Amino acid sequence: MADEGHSIKESDQAVESSGKTRVSRITRNFFLHIHATRVHIYSMKPAYTFGLGIILGFLFLVMVFTGVILMIYYTPSVDAAYQSVKDIVYVVPGGRIIRNMHRWASQGMIIVVFLHLLRVFYTGSYLENRSLNWVIGVVLLIVTLLSNFSGYLLPWDQLAYWAVTIGSNIAASAREFTDLLGITAVFDPGGFLKKLLIGGENVGQPALTRFFALHVIFLPLTMLVLISVHFWRIRKDGGLSRPPHYAADRGPVNKWLAWPVLMWTELALLTGVIVVVLLIALVADAPLLEQANPSYPENPAKSPWYFLGIQELVSYSAFSGGLLVPVIYLVFLFSIPYKDKEDQHVGTWFSGPQGVKLTLYAAAGAIVTVIAQLAVMIRFGWLRDWFPGISQWFVLLINPATITTALFILFAEFTRRRTSSTRMAALVLFTCSFTALIIFTAMGIWFRGPNWEFFWSRSQWPVL
Amino acid sequence: MERRKFIRKAAGTLLVATGLAAAVSYLRQFFPRLAGEKKRFSLGDPGMFPVDTYTFIPDHNLFVYRDHEGIKAVSAVCTHLGCILEKSTDGFVCPCHGSCYNEMGEVLSGPAPRDLSWFQVGRTPDGKVMVDPGRIVGPSEKFITA
Repeated sequence: MADEGHSIKESDQAVESSGKTRVSRITRNFFLHIHATRVHIYSMKPAYTFGLGIILGFLFLVMVFTGVILMIYYTPSVDAAYQSVKDIVYVVPGGRIIRNMHRWASQGMIIVVFLHLLRVFYTGSYLENRSLNWVIGVVLLIVTLLSNFSGYLLPWDQLAYWAVTIGSNIAASAREFTDLLGITAVFDPGGFLKKLLIGGENVGQPALTRFFALHVIFLPLTMLVLISVHFWRIRKDGGLSRPPHYAADRGPVNKWLAWPVLMWTELALLTGVIVVVLLIALVADAPLLEQANPSYPENPAKSPWYFLGIQELVSYSAFSGGLLVPVIYLVFLFSIPYKDKEDQHVGTWFSGPQGVKLTLYAAAGAIVTVIAQLAVMIRFGWLRDWFPGISQWFVLLINPATITTALFILFAEFTRRRTSSTRMAALVLFTCSFTALIIFTAMGIWFRGPNWEFFWSRSQWPVL
Repeated sequence: MERRKFIRKAAGTLLVATGLAAAVSYLRQFFPRLAGEKKRFSLGDPGMFPVDTYTFIPDHNLFVYRDHEGIKAVSAVCTHLGCILEKSTDGFVCPCHGSCYNEMGEVLSGPAPRDLSWFQVGRTPDGKVMVDPGRIVGPSEKFITA
């Protein structure tokens, strides 16, 4: 039998305690029962999952534990918020470390949530009827980003104020479109959304109150529920994804008892996560700019690094860069498991050599496409510089954000026809868009200076 | 129609209608009723504004321009995403995403979708400069002081 070597191992374990005891450790405990009693050996391979999902879960725990402390010292009022954050940093014993941990764990979540997205996509783990869990995952990605966004409003410093002003106006930027149609007076979804977000026309106390409620109750609760469902679905979907030749493994075949092997692994990861966050929190302080000043934005007014890709896109057009293209991207992410059902590709990185090749081609293609447009834009300007007084329609519809999106969709369609494989088309579109996201983000982080102009390095910024 | 069927249908319709009404009135709570009107305000004596200069008024986020004929006022809020503009040598520039406007408030470059708004300027009974952000006027309309 193929699993002979493995059954020896099981009898080995039985020396300490019977399999039945180990199974009951999991089933008796409500919290541990999120796991199956047995995990497949393939799911335990570190280079398959890198433990990213569970790391996210642990980072979420760190966020909740540190967040509760911050919440009892923080005052959600325009007049007192900034001082209360200063009190947390300078007066509350250990407050600085707690705030640093909260900040760095949140950035850790951003990084790991994207790595997790990459892992799940490139291993084809949305296949074999895992579509629901993929969709929940994408929603969790959005909730993670929203949690970060709502969180950095709270200190009411310059970053907070201008980021939320810009953010709420991106929400209102559907007006750019309805204005062109001349229907804003009767149909104003942009204004509707903005009012819902900040409770008024300008960012003020209602906005702070709303974002506080979002940040401490609505989003964490949503996240907790979704994380629970996300983990539970793994069990319902028959464990983590694995290649087709393992698919038939039922019962104890090729599986370990979750207790105690998986428990030790997870405890080690939890410890690791806490240690790393704590170490970073000890050496690096979370930024706090000057108190919010509604008359003077910073120049450049940059959001935190993970939103600078979006900020680069909105610098072409608020509507197409801030709303249209991100929504198309999210629709693409959501639709992946419904468009691509080639289950034979599940469980292998890049679905084999053809996938590796196409991924590399796609990345290279995206780099060329995006950098070429940026080079033209920086060197020669864009539509308004060539045709002064050009209609806003052209500014909105023809810019690097929309052109890139259209080209990538063409690349993917071409791939689908050439390879007659939806998985390969998905690989190309996903790789292209993610590469573009990285380039736009890098552009925003390192190459944009005062007035959002291009600079090779920060040392070239003019002294203002 | 059978009595049983009728009652079932009526009850169902009633339940759905009540549910919808409850949902709408609940969700309605998230949208505040705003006193939308923009109030007029006074900016002090006309003599406070230097001639041939754009003066930034931080409290109201606008620029007041005065020449030897009169006074006009232009919004300092970028029509792109609401950052506050800076005065450049020959117009206005947005520090956030680089939109440029000329001195008439017209978009020259960048992502801004609309020109800047000019507000009606008048005088309070005691002779102070008064701006009404609820009334948009043309860029060349001035409140004549001379």
